[in-house]
Amino acid sequence: MSGGPGLACDYFDGRTTARRAATLRVEDDHAIVAGEGVARREPLSRVRVSERMGSAPRLVSFADGAFCEVHDHAALDALLAATGYREPAVARVQSRWSLVAVALALCVALVAAAYLYALPWAAAQVAGHIPASAVTSLSRQTLEAMDRHVLSPSALPADRRETLARRFDRMAAPGGTAVPHAIAFRASRAMGANAFALPDGTIVVTDALVALAGDDDEILAVLAHELGHVERRHGLRLALQSSVVGLAVSWFLGDISSLVAAIPAALLEARYSRDLEREADDFAARWLRFNALSPALLASMLEKLEAAHAKGGDAGPGKSDYLASHPATTERIRTLRSPSAGTD
Amino acid sequence: MIPEFDTPPPAPPAGPPSAPITLRFTGSGSEYFRIWIVNLALTFITFGIYSAWAKVRRLQYFYRNTRLAGSGFDYHGKPTAILKGRVIAFGLLFAYQATAGLNSIAGLVVAVAIAAVLPWLLVRSLAFRMMNSSWRGLRFRFDGSVSGGYAVFLGWPLAAVLTLGLLAPAAHRALKAYQHGNAGFGTAPFAFSATTRQFYGVWLRASLLFGVVPIAAFLLFAVVAADSDAMEQGLPDLGSSGALAAMFVIALGVYGATLAAMPYFTTRIQNLVWNHTTLGPHRFESRLKFRRMLWIAASNFGLTIVTLGLFRPFAMVRMARYRAESMTLVPGESLDHFLGIQAREVEALGEEMSEFLDIDIAL
Repeated sequence: MSGGPGLACDYFDGRTTARRAATLRVEDDHAIVAGEGVARREPLSRVRVSERMGSAPRLVSFADGAFCEVHDHAALDALLAATGYREPAVARVQSRWSLVAVALALCVALVAAAYLYALPWAAAQVAGHIPASAVTSLSRQTLEAMDRHVLSPSALPADRRETLARRFDRMAAPGGTAVPHAIAFRASRAMGANAFALPDGTIVVTDALVALAGDDDEILAVLAHELGHVERRHGLRLALQSSVVGLAVSWFLGDISSLVAAIPAALLEARYSRDLEREADDFAARWLRFNALSPALLASMLEKLEAAHAKGGDAGPGKSDYLASHPATTERIRTLRSPSAGTD
Repeated sequence: MIPEFDTPPPAPPAGPPSAPITLRFTGSGSEYFRIWIVNLALTFITFGIYSAWAKVRRLQYFYRNTRLAGSGFDYHGKPTAILKGRVIAFGLLFAYQATAGLNSIAGLVVAVAIAAVLPWLLVRSLAFRMMNSSWRGLRFRFDGSVSGGYAVFLGWPLAAVLTLGLLAPAAHRALKAYQHGNAGFGTAPFAFSATTRQFYGVWLRASLLFGVVPIAAFLLFAVVAADSDAMEQGLPDLGSSGALAAMFVIALGVYGATLAAMPYFTTRIQNLVWNHTTLGPHRFESRLKFRRMLWIAASNFGLTIVTLGLFRPFAMVRMARYRAESMTLVPGESLDHFLGIQAREVEALGEEMSEFLDIDIAL
């Protein structure tokens, strides 16, 4: 490049905050800064230029901390091009909308893959490695807390409870290996007709659910469904997935309190619980068929729970995904009634 | 000799105060969107390793677009130091998670060990952040002592927890006094003068406004819930749907109050902190308005949700612009004095040492 007037810049010496108007040009592989009280000539190999970041000023800096702040991007680009300078790859991607669109598509694909496949897979792996003692103490604490707040002792006669528990214990597992479990009968005004499983195999059944069932086989069908949650470690997996999704959402939404971030996170988590209900249904269907019972028993129980739920009061094993509950339940009932339910 | 002695040193005279200078922010959402999305994609592809480089690019974008008296700030942090900090932070977190899951005593031991090293790491991070920030080529600095760091990052928080939060405002003031009172720019020191009483004032008002509202709403909720229990005994459907609607409105109120709490707190604290911070003879004025902050925070939140996150970089730029443009430097003497601040001589050993200890664990 020939002499010329060079491009206007602000020069700072790195020792004081004094700003000096100067010009910058390149001559014989040297950067030359000239201005009031400034005259520098540095080999290009010892000069650094900051990468382009939108319209933010760019800095041409020297080894001793002095630098030029340049605002005229077009002129600097021309100067740099003449020296054979090439922007770093990342800066080039950031400056082209077509490549930005590729980055966006990549992000969407990766987030979707992580949410749909990687996270459930990782949660299943981790859930399988949580020590039994930790699972037991977690489950015990949960049950104790619920006993204090929402559950009360069952009003069912002891022999009725025992009959049900014994019938369920006597059922054979399709794979041959039984899943350790214990049935806990409770009454609950807040939860209505309901059943849920804790990760250590404790299955809580409410008196209202026992009353709602047409016969004991229907109760066994619900217990089998809950046992499916235990066998697949759904409780732990859901807890792990939810905490990762919750963390990601609150990180993403930034400076907003975590309570506020909880609602979008809850919506994202609802999908997981729907998938898990299907898995537990499948487990129950196979279990029931293996014990010469019909998977349709669970379907009729789901219908009763949904009807009870619609009347008011929260009920049903699918209670957590409130927003998506109805179409999903209809689909579950249809699947359980199909001739292929519980076959491999 | 004598002529030289006679000429005054080139230090600028302390003339009459110059006019206040307001910070300006020149970044734009569409520019930052491109930086942000490329950062995000590279971070995903590299399983998070690139996040350290992403942080440098993000800070450089925001610093260089924040301008005081026509010149931008700059960020000089090395990504490798940030990566090192992140590896340490995740290592500590993993160590805690792994041991706490196995055995509560081992978990406790690891938690105590983390509590013992964390203040030191946080002091290093503060120093790293300041030393790598500059304006017009002059670096900021942070000289807070390690013992002071243990007091504000361990002692005060413990005291706040043990008193069930009664000492939290005092702990907050201690932290801000440590941060601002130990910082400097070139040869000029920052000083901090907000009192504990003022911090209690902000905390009290925030908890009255946004603690009492949700509690009242919750009580109302409990009454309505008890009522609807009675309705279950066979009252017409209209009653329970009315109760549902009431619960919905109450829940919305709690949600709104929570959403408003953060902007309120940020507004009052930023104003309090900066209105009581000085740099040599100069002071600052922060004039954030709660309503404006609330509007920005709430609309940012809504738009970020609606766009499935894509509005986030625009949201960050909006917030940065408002926060920067609410801040004014009020020169106590002539601006020439401010501009005459010089770089501090740093001993070679100190620099090498800090290079070795460069750690930034803040996300």
